[in-house]
Amino acid sequence: MVEKRTLIFVTLAVVVWASLASVFAGYYYLQFENSSKQLEEAQNSLSKSASSYDKATNKYNTLLGEYAELYGNYSYYTGDNYTEFLKPFKKLIDKLAENYATLLLTHEDLNKTYLELLGKYETLNQQNNVTKQEFENLLNRYYNLFSLLALKELEKAISESVKLSVNICINYSDRIEWYNETQVPAGTTLFEATKKIANITYTYYPLLEPGHILIDSINEKAAYTDPSYTCGYSWIWYYWDESNGRWVVGPVGCDAWHLRDGGIYKWNYEKWTWP
Amino acid sequence: MNTSKLASLITLTALCIAIQLAPRPPNVEFTSFITFIVGLTQGTIMGALFGAFVMFVNGFLSPWGFSGLNMPFQMVGMAIVGFSGGIYRKFTHNELKPTQFCLETAILGGFIALIYDIITNIGVGIQFILSGTPPMLAIFSALAYGAFFSAVHVSSNSIVFGVLFVPFMKILNGLKIGETSWLKKEPLYS
Repeated sequence: MVEKRTLIFVTLAVVVWASLASVFAGYYYLQFENSSKQLEEAQNSLSKSASSYDKATNKYNTLLGEYAELYGNYSYYTGDNYTEFLKPFKKLIDKLAENYATLLLTHEDLNKTYLELLGKYETLNQQNNVTKQEFENLLNRYYNLFSLLALKELEKAISESVKLSVNICINYSDRIEWYNETQVPAGTTLFEATKKIANITYTYYPLLEPGHILIDSINEKAAYTDPSYTCGYSWIWYYWDESNGRWVVGPVGCDAWHLRDGGIYKWNYEKWTWP
Repeated sequence: MNTSKLASLITLTALCIAIQLAPRPPNVEFTSFITFIVGLTQGTIMGALFGAFVMFVNGFLSPWGFSGLNMPFQMVGMAIVGFSGGIYRKFTHNELKPTQFCLETAILGGFIALIYDIITNIGVGIQFILSGTPPMLAIFSALAYGAFFSAVHVSSNSIVFGVLFVPFMKILNGLKIGETSWLKKEPLYS
């Protein structure tokens, strides 16, 4: 016969074990629910990305086909005056603007490039004679902008499911600020990321390529050029080269440099002299 | 309450708070053991008051930060621990074998830790409710997410109770001040 006291304590031990087992079951149930929810969200976001990607590639292929048609006609043309190609070219620009309207509206730098192209076209349209060289320049400018817009559109599709974490340093020469683990969508350029973390002013240079933007000031610290043009201070950007363990000066404009996940970037307020 | 009893209570309170505030792994504690002993030696009411008071002070000084809304739940939880000590005194006797007694106290330690955790986790659940979570989900989440901490607490308390109870009983039996309080009737387990 089991003693009453022993029975009580065995019961207590069972209660402890059962309660702990229940809360653990509850914990794993909640974890499972959360994971299922996250998985569903990830799947939805991937489907959305896939659908956006499809749309973007379709758009790209259609516009590329139309560009190729015009380029073919231009290549086989033997005359001296290329004015007759301006009309189909205008159609091409209009279609480009129509297809990438949102991007042009949200990306000031791309919009400026587009307006520059439109301006070039208008200038040529006023002329009675358009040379091969002039039209070729126009086509090249169009193709560059088209490629950039298509790339942006594809990045936008990816950014719906991919987020990047980057580290940005701003060296004001008298102090340094770090913006660690800044979350940005995939496809973000250094210019866009800098705009996100600081107040900046900048100038758009149509002739600079790739990337048309130079930063004039970051958080009120402005670049400066001596009136003699022999020295001054500028905002120069660098990226951290992990394999060689050193800072590398940005090879292109900040609006053309796409950030990578875990990348480290630096804005340096630097003195320069000329010559 | 005589002076010697008061002195022993004050000493235990200080000891308890010092251990409670000392750096230690989360949920490994000696407070419930000491509170239980106070309940055992001084009775249910004194044990409950002692437990509530220690958690009140701990709520302000804890290295984990101010307890806030959870403090009343911690006080109630520890008061129950002290109260149970007083009740257990009525059932301790010398006929038990040492192994059985150790096992018993270990189970008791685990059970007390479980009750304390359920009460404090409900306190956390109420905070979730106040921040807008539906009541059932809030309580369920608080209990579920506290599972690992509860497991650590129950295990450590079982070990503390199982290992320390018998030596403590022997020490308390040998103390002269016990003659006026906990040794008035029969000695503690020895």
